[in-house]
Amino acid sequence: MPTAGPAGSIRRAVWRLRLVFLFAILAALPYLLSYSQQEIAVLLVINVLLVCSYRLLTLTGEWSLGHVVIMGVGAYASALLAKQFGVPVPLSMLLGGCMAAAIAALLSFPLFRMKGFYFLIGSFAAGEIIRLIWKRFTDPFGGPKGLKRIDPFPNIETGFLSIDFYEPVNYYFLSLVIVSASLFVLYRVERSRIGLTFHAIHWQDRLAESVGVDTFRYRTLAFVIASFFAGIAGGLYAHYVGAVNPTRFSVDQMVYVLVWAVVGGTTTLHGPILGVVVLTVINEIVLRALGLDTARPLIYGAILILSVLYLPNGLESLGPRLRARWRLWRSGPAAGGGELA
Amino acid sequence: MLRKSLDKKISRRKFLGTTAASGTALAAMGGGLSRVAFADSDTIKIGFLAPLTGPVSAWGKPGLDGCLIWADWVNAKGGVNVGGKSYNIEFVGYDNEYDAAKAKAGATKLIKEDGVKFIMMLGGDTWPGVEKIAEREGMLFSTLLPSDLSPDSTTLVAPCEVHPIYNVTGVEWLAENKPDLKTAVMCAQDDSLGKPSVATYLAAFEAAGIEMIDDPLFFDPTTTDFAPVMTKLLAGNPDILCLDTCYADYVHPLCEQAFQQGYKGQIISCTADFYQNIIEKTSAEFMEGFIFQFPDFDDPALNSEGVNFVNPNEFYTEYAKRYGASQWGAVSWEYASIMDLWADAASRAGSAEPAAVLEAMKAGGTGKHAFGTADWWGTELFGIDNALVGDWPVVVIEGGKATIKEFRSIPAWWDKHKDLMIKHMTALDQMWNQRG
Repeated sequence: MPTAGPAGSIRRAVWRLRLVFLFAILAALPYLLSYSQQEIAVLLVINVLLVCSYRLLTLTGEWSLGHVVIMGVGAYASALLAKQFGVPVPLSMLLGGCMAAAIAALLSFPLFRMKGFYFLIGSFAAGEIIRLIWKRFTDPFGGPKGLKRIDPFPNIETGFLSIDFYEPVNYYFLSLVIVSASLFVLYRVERSRIGLTFHAIHWQDRLAESVGVDTFRYRTLAFVIASFFAGIAGGLYAHYVGAVNPTRFSVDQMVYVLVWAVVGGTTTLHGPILGVVVLTVINEIVLRALGLDTARPLIYGAILILSVLYLPNGLESLGPRLRARWRLWRSGPAAGGGELA
Repeated sequence: MLRKSLDKKISRRKFLGTTAASGTALAAMGGGLSRVAFADSDTIKIGFLAPLTGPVSAWGKPGLDGCLIWADWVNAKGGVNVGGKSYNIEFVGYDNEYDAAKAKAGATKLIKEDGVKFIMMLGGDTWPGVEKIAEREGMLFSTLLPSDLSPDSTTLVAPCEVHPIYNVTGVEWLAENKPDLKTAVMCAQDDSLGKPSVATYLAAFEAAGIEMIDDPLFFDPTTTDFAPVMTKLLAGNPDILCLDTCYADYVHPLCEQAFQQGYKGQIISCTADFYQNIIEKTSAEFMEGFIFQFPDFDDPALNSEGVNFVNPNEFYTEYAKRYGASQWGAVSWEYASIMDLWADAASRAGSAEPAAVLEAMKAGGTGKHAFGTADWWGTELFGIDNALVGDWPVVVIEGGKATIKEFRSIPAWWDKHKDLMIKHMTALDQMWNQRG
C-alpha cells in the first residue's frame, strides 16, 4: 500500500474520514434502537471482539474449537476475582484476560504438538476439560448452575456526571471503547513483523522454519494474544449479564463463532465483523421483528448454506466483487462489460 | 440492457435515498411494532419468556401453545375481570433460547416496550440473567423450576410445578405398588436441572428402602451417543432404571438404548414428553408400566372435584386438534394453569399491577393449584415461601396411554422425610444458600 507522496496523504485522509464516519454511526446507533435492541447491541459489540480475536489465531492456519471456553476462562476469572476477592471490576476484567492468556500459554504445549484437524480436536478436548472442571467444582465455580449475582461494572458518580452501567446504552459505549482499543491492538499486531510471520506460518510453515522462524513460539504467541482478548470479551459479558455457567461456553456457542467467521470471511479484519453484525441483526432484530421467532434456526441455516454456496470467500469478498463489476459496467460494452450477467 | 434499464429507472440519488429510508425503517421496526401494540387499553399483556427453539424448547413452545388456547377461551368469555372492567389477555412471546443474556434482552423488551404485567419463564439457566431486572422493575415472574427461588428474589414465584420435589410421589407409589423392586440406577444430564432432581430421587429411594447400585451417572448435556451411558447403567442388572429429569432429547434415545440392550425392568422418569414417539421407536410392551409425573389432560381422573384446572379434558382435545396429540408435553398445561392462578389473583386484587397481584396470590398462605388447594411453602428448601405445593399425580403408561394412578401429597412426604431431602440436596450443593 503506497503511503508516501500526495496520493498517500489523500488515502490516509480518506481512511481517517471513513473512521470518523464509522464512529459517528456507532455513536448514534443506540439512539436509533429500542431498549431491548440496545441490549443486543451490547452483546454484539462483545461478540465482535470474540470473533476478531479468534481470527488472529486463524492467521497461523489453526482453527480452534476451544475459543469460547477461553472466553469463559476470562469470564469466570473476572467474576470470581470481583465476587470473592473484592477486586475492582475494571481490574478484574484485565486480570480475567491475563488468566485466559495464561491458560492458553499452558495449553499451547500439548496443543501445538498437533496441526490442522488434530489441533481442532485437541482444542475441543482441552475446552471440554476446562468446562468439566467448572461443573465438577461447585466451590468456587458454582457447578452446573455457574455463578450469578456477579458484581456489575461500577457506576460513575461525580458532581456533574452520573453513569449507570446497568443501562445498556452506557454499557454499549463502555464496550465500544474497550473493543475499539482491542481491535486497534489486533490490527497493529497483524500489520507488524509478528503478524507477517503469522501469515508466513499459515502458508509456508516449513519454509518459515527453514529460515529460522520458531513456528511453535509464534503459534503460541498468536494463541496467547487471541486468548487475552477473548478473556476480555468474557469479562465484559460476565459483568453485564451478571451470570455465567458452563453451558454458555459449550461447543454449541463455538459453532456460532465459526459461522460468523465463515460467513464473514477471515482474510481481512473486517470480514468476521461483517459476519457477526449481519447474522446477529438478521437473527436477533429483523426475524424477531417479523414475528418469525420459531423459524429463526431454519432461516439462519438457509442463510449459512446460501452464503457458502454463493459467497465462498465470505461477505468481505462482496465489496471487491461489486467494485470490480461496477468498474466493468462503467467501462462499457467496448470493454465487454456492458451487461451484468 | 440492464444498464439501460437501470439508467432509466434508478438514479444513484434515488437509490441512496430509498436505501437510507429502508434502513431507517428497519431500525425502527422493532420499537414501532411494540408501540402500536400499546394502543389497545382493554388488553392486558402477559410475557412468555422461554426457550421456543433449541434443545430445551420442549419445555417452552408447548406451553405457549397451551396459553394461546387459554387466551382464546378466556377472551371468548369476555376476558378477565379486573377492578370491575373486563380485559382481554394477549401473550407476547420471546424466545430466550435458554440463554441468560437473551433472557435479559427479552425481559427488558417485554417490560419496557411491550408493557406486560406478568412474565412466565421456564427458569433455570435463564433466570440469573433476569434476576436484576425483576428486582429493579418490581415485575412479577413465575418459574417452573423452584430451584431459582431465593430470598433475594421476592417477586419470583413457582405457582405450578415444584420441580423436582414432586418426583418423590412417583417413587413412593412405586415402592408401595411394586415392593419387590429393590435396586436402582440413575442417570442425568450434568446441569442445573439434573442435579437437584438427582438429590430428590436419592432421597425418595432412600425413604422407600430402594438401594442405589451405583452412584448417579452424570452425562454432559452435549452427549448424543447414549449407548455407552445405558451399557454402564444396565451393567449392575438393576430392578429400576431412573431417568431423572432428562430433557426430551435425552429421554427418547435413552429409552431406545434400554430397549435395544434388552432391558425389561421398571423405568421411572420425571417426564416422558411425546411418549407416543418413544412407543413407536420401542414398543408398547416395553413402555408398559413406565412411571412419570405428567398426565395427558384427557384423563378422567382430572375431572375429580379437587382439581382446579378448568375443563382439562376439553383443553386436551383442543390442544390435540390444533397441534396434534403427539405434541402434548409436560408443560402444555402448566403455563395455562399459572394463568388461572394469575387471573384469579388479579380479579381479587382489582388490579393487574405486579405487586398487587402477588399480594392477592399469596393471601392466606394457600392457593388454587391446578391439582387442588395447596400451600405457599419453601423456606427450608428455597429460603422463601414462594412455591405452591400440594398434591401431584403419579402417571403410568398402560396400554400405550398415560394414565393417572393416584394423586399424592408432597407436603405429607416432606413432613416424614425432609431430613433426607435436605441431606441429599446439601451433598450435591443444591440448597438455596449453596448456589453460586
